[in-house]
Amino acid sequence: MSDAKFFQRGKIQELRIELNSDKKDRNYIRKKATLKKIVANMTMGNDMSSLYPDVIACMAIPVLEVKKMVYLFLINYSKAKPDMALDAINTFRRDVEDPNPLIRALAIRTMGYIHVDKVTTYLIQPLRHCMRDQDPYVRKTAAVCVAKLFMQDRHLVENAGFIDLLREMLVDSNPSVVANAIAALTEISERSDHIQLKLNMSIASKLVTALNECSEWGQTYILESLMFVVPQEPGDAEMLAERIAPRLQHANSAVVLTAVKVIVYLMNYMTKDEDIANMCKKLSPPLVTLLSSGPEVQYVGLRNILLVIQKHPDILKNDIKIFFCKYNDPIYVKMAKLEIMFRLASEHNVEQVLSELKEYATEVDVDFVRKAVRSIGRLAVKIESTAQKCVEALLELIQTKVNYVVQESIVVIKDIFRKYPNQYESIIGVLCENLDNLDEPEAKAAMIWIIGQYADRIENSDELLDDFLYTFLEETVEVQLALLTATVKLFIKRPTAGQDLVPKVLKWATEEVDNPDLRDRGYIYWRLLSTDVAAAKAVVLSEKPHISTETDNMDPVLLEELLLHIASLSAIYHKAPTTFIPHCKPRFLIPSPVLRRQNYGTGRGTMIHQDSYDHLYGNDNNNGGGSNRDGLDELATSPKQPHHQRLSYMEQSFDQVAEASIGNQEYYEQKINAENPYRTDTTTASATKGGVDLMSFDL
Amino acid sequence: MIESLFVLSSTGKVIIEKHWHELIPRRIVDYFNEQVSKAMAAGEDVTREDVLPIISSPKYQLVNIYRDGLTYLSPVTKEVDPMMVFEFLHRIHDIIQEYFGSVSETIIKENFVTVYQLLEEMMDDGFPLTTEPNALKEIVPAPTMLNKVINTMGATTSVSTRKMPHGMSNLPWRKAGVKYNSNEIFFDIIEEIDAIVDSTGKAVSCEAHGTIQTNSRLSGMPDLTLTFVNPRLVDDCSFHPSVRFNKWDSDKVLSFVPPDGQFRLMSYRVNLSSQQNLPVQVKPSINVGANGAKFDITVSLRNTDGKALENVVLTLPLHKSTTTLTAQCNVGQYMFDPVGKVLRWDIGKIVPRERAPVISGSFGFGAAGSDAAANAGYNIGVEFLINSHSLSGLKVDVLKLFNESYKPYKGVRTMTKAGRYQVRA
Repeated sequence: MSDAKFFQRGKIQELRIELNSDKKDRNYIRKKATLKKIVANMTMGNDMSSLYPDVIACMAIPVLEVKKMVYLFLINYSKAKPDMALDAINTFRRDVEDPNPLIRALAIRTMGYIHVDKVTTYLIQPLRHCMRDQDPYVRKTAAVCVAKLFMQDRHLVENAGFIDLLREMLVDSNPSVVANAIAALTEISERSDHIQLKLNMSIASKLVTALNECSEWGQTYILESLMFVVPQEPGDAEMLAERIAPRLQHANSAVVLTAVKVIVYLMNYMTKDEDIANMCKKLSPPLVTLLSSGPEVQYVGLRNILLVIQKHPDILKNDIKIFFCKYNDPIYVKMAKLEIMFRLASEHNVEQVLSELKEYATEVDVDFVRKAVRSIGRLAVKIESTAQKCVEALLELIQTKVNYVVQESIVVIKDIFRKYPNQYESIIGVLCENLDNLDEPEAKAAMIWIIGQYADRIENSDELLDDFLYTFLEETVEVQLALLTATVKLFIKRPTAGQDLVPKVLKWATEEVDNPDLRDRGYIYWRLLSTDVAAAKAVVLSEKPHISTETDNMDPVLLEELLLHIASLSAIYHKAPTTFIPHCKPRFLIPSPVLRRQNYGTGRGTMIHQDSYDHLYGNDNNNGGGSNRDGLDELATSPKQPHHQRLSYMEQSFDQVAEASIGNQEYYEQKINAENPYRTDTTTASATKGGVDLMSFDL
Repeated sequence: MIESLFVLSSTGKVIIEKHWHELIPRRIVDYFNEQVSKAMAAGEDVTREDVLPIISSPKYQLVNIYRDGLTYLSPVTKEVDPMMVFEFLHRIHDIIQEYFGSVSETIIKENFVTVYQLLEEMMDDGFPLTTEPNALKEIVPAPTMLNKVINTMGATTSVSTRKMPHGMSNLPWRKAGVKYNSNEIFFDIIEEIDAIVDSTGKAVSCEAHGTIQTNSRLSGMPDLTLTFVNPRLVDDCSFHPSVRFNKWDSDKVLSFVPPDGQFRLMSYRVNLSSQQNLPVQVKPSINVGANGAKFDITVSLRNTDGKALENVVLTLPLHKSTTTLTAQCNVGQYMFDPVGKVLRWDIGKIVPRERAPVISGSFGFGAAGSDAAANAGYNIGVEFLINSHSLSGLKVDVLKLFNESYKPYKGVRTMTKAGRYQVRA
């Protein structure tokens, strides 16, 4: 019997007549069919709400299937018809007393969905009753219903004793009830300003016992709640982690990843390094297994692995092969794998990694190929012993003449030059053969940087630059800045070759271009060159700070926060949840006697450590305070970093990140730019311009 | 938690819509469809499978999976665990499959009342509830022949006669009162090889995953213990919820009360030695010039314990600019799909010690001299299966049954097949 026929658009009047028909309807066959039509229409988006009274009249029919459809209807339309929803209350009240637990549960569940104040009022008493129902199915439904109720009326739930009832349910004999109760409590805690879930070891231990017996979803709820345990004694975290570890072998990947999250969290509270190393060993195989699932699960797994291995580099360090890309992996999986391959690359496996990357560079997907090429360059920067091979690989790729491969290669070769000065200049000739095809700003800027940097070794560097300068005014700022600096470098290194170009560029930069950075930089060079060429030389040709791929690492504070959100959306976007999810409670490592000191890199650990708590504590306050997170008092009394100081740290770290991602902006030049004593607004700028004689530095 | 679910047809039309919290307007589906078509327009090689499973919109994060032409879309606003959403969406798909045999727009429409009832049982307030097929079938009857007859006869089961679902027993996966005239249980040990092999035949990466698919048709509450001859061969296992984990941990035996019907008892990773011999060797040689390429591919058997390789199919995706292909093969049939630009060579069966299948030929690029075409790498997808063979050598020893007095029929089959197996040319 197909349901498709019910999808015909039914006329409301016809349906009403059918529903109210007095014809003999043995076992409600006719009514059932009509209700199906109504539900079908409802799902097609046709407004059936005017049938509300007629449908309510069917509530008393003692057939489960009918009841379910009526309830479905009520859930859908009660908001629109709040007055009529009250008519349903009597039946609801009868149903929650029904001898059949299924009906009791169904009634309480449906009532919870009807967001009408009066219905809610009538829900309180039966709900309390159901939470202590003799049947576990009813109890577990009731537990979820409290969370539902909380969404509608927080005060009601907080004040009517429901939280205590839920707490009682945590020691229920039925594991599914326990799981749902903890799920409801977690949900409420995440949304409430006044309630903060906090579990002690004895409750945690009971929950873990229930873990072994409840459904897979129940397991994720219980595991999630263990994030609210703060181990206080040595051995607590170890014991919990040990008991959770079997969950790593569950068939449900949500269970596995949540278990990973809890264990990674608990590792912060483990006192012995060998325990941590031991746990790391246990984490690798389940993470590998995630990668044998479907692409979506793989993707989530990969994004999370990227976080975990930044904190615990030992995990998966010997498993790089499983991250090798298959040609038919979805693009997003390939991209995520590539990122991890790069992280796991080390002296031991670099040959394999390089040969993989070379392979990927011949694939068809442009974005993937680009990323592969870029990774080859980053690999050279990361691992010195392989730099030579990487350069050879890049040269081979340039020979293919595939335009975007060539451009991407040039961009990374610039990084290699920067990292290993005076080693690979012999390849400049090859690069110069490809100038005409460069059309991407980044590649152009990179090439121009190379020409400027090696202006004295490239015989026709002045001609090359002149070619680029031909379109100066049409270029992007990135390219213009590069041209400006390169021309000045040329001039300083080979004054005769550069003397015709420099005035031209400086004039453009200061007069024809609207970008303040470019203009400012133009003025600085102008001044420097006109006043003290030796100083100009010292500044422009000063030794560049070293670049390394270390700076690609995620900000340690952010990493720490994201690790507390493994498996969730923020762990996929690698963004703090508070930045994109409204009303999200921030999480942080709550201090305890066994909390390990967080190592946020060398030299700046202490400050950031304090700073991060300070920062989070502030947030917590904003959220209304009143939470019972012990241990925070102690922090509150410690001297706080003044706000601006925190900001300056943040800025500093962002600078570093930006510097890293750009790789090799002219660091010193920027710095000078920032401290520019000549920084002037537009009007005074033009005055200055008038005052400097262009010819005065014509050497 | 999961707030809403949309099931979309291949054209992006809403087939099923369900909201557990607020009503999320259908506009979001339009937005989603736009994003999908935008993503797919990004390049000629981008398929629906390449679309991100999580798409950001200003207000919602659009978690979605794509299966059998249908999109299951769940917009979320909170810091949810997308893994859980994915698992749940997969489960919905699997359950629909289990109930109706297959999944398509038509099938969902034909059974939408059942589908809605299922959704109602599978999730409450965004919390996944009952997702075990056995437990669900207790609450929402599957459209069996018998049910249809009962429906048309008008013999509705009234509320009072319905039994309590057993979803709440300590064995949520098994219903009570199962009865069969002949009791039987079948185990299928299936091992899949995922490998990347280079053109010299060396495995760049290689892993194998095993699953034990079980079909249990046993009466009552059978308590089973399955032992293996060589359990140490398997590594990193995950189990059906029925399996008592501690028993495995201590004794390496599988002790469980099975669900009724089909289920996956266990999945595991096979320990492969670094020099593992793969069952098949594919030797490709592709010489690419500016206008096209000459190729030949030889397939030979290796290390199959004398077993034949069956259903062998090779697919070679070609560069998009390929327009012509001519080839000859000594075994099987080949087909060139000029639209999808794929060469598919259907070899069939390869018996040991028979001549090795070879295909050779050439293909040409339409746009001559394209650098990208001339430099593109080639990969060959390989499919095959070997019956009565397990790569790991895992063998079932005995199956013991407790708690019931009958003697069931027991069957074990093994099979090795190619998973994601590819050879680089």
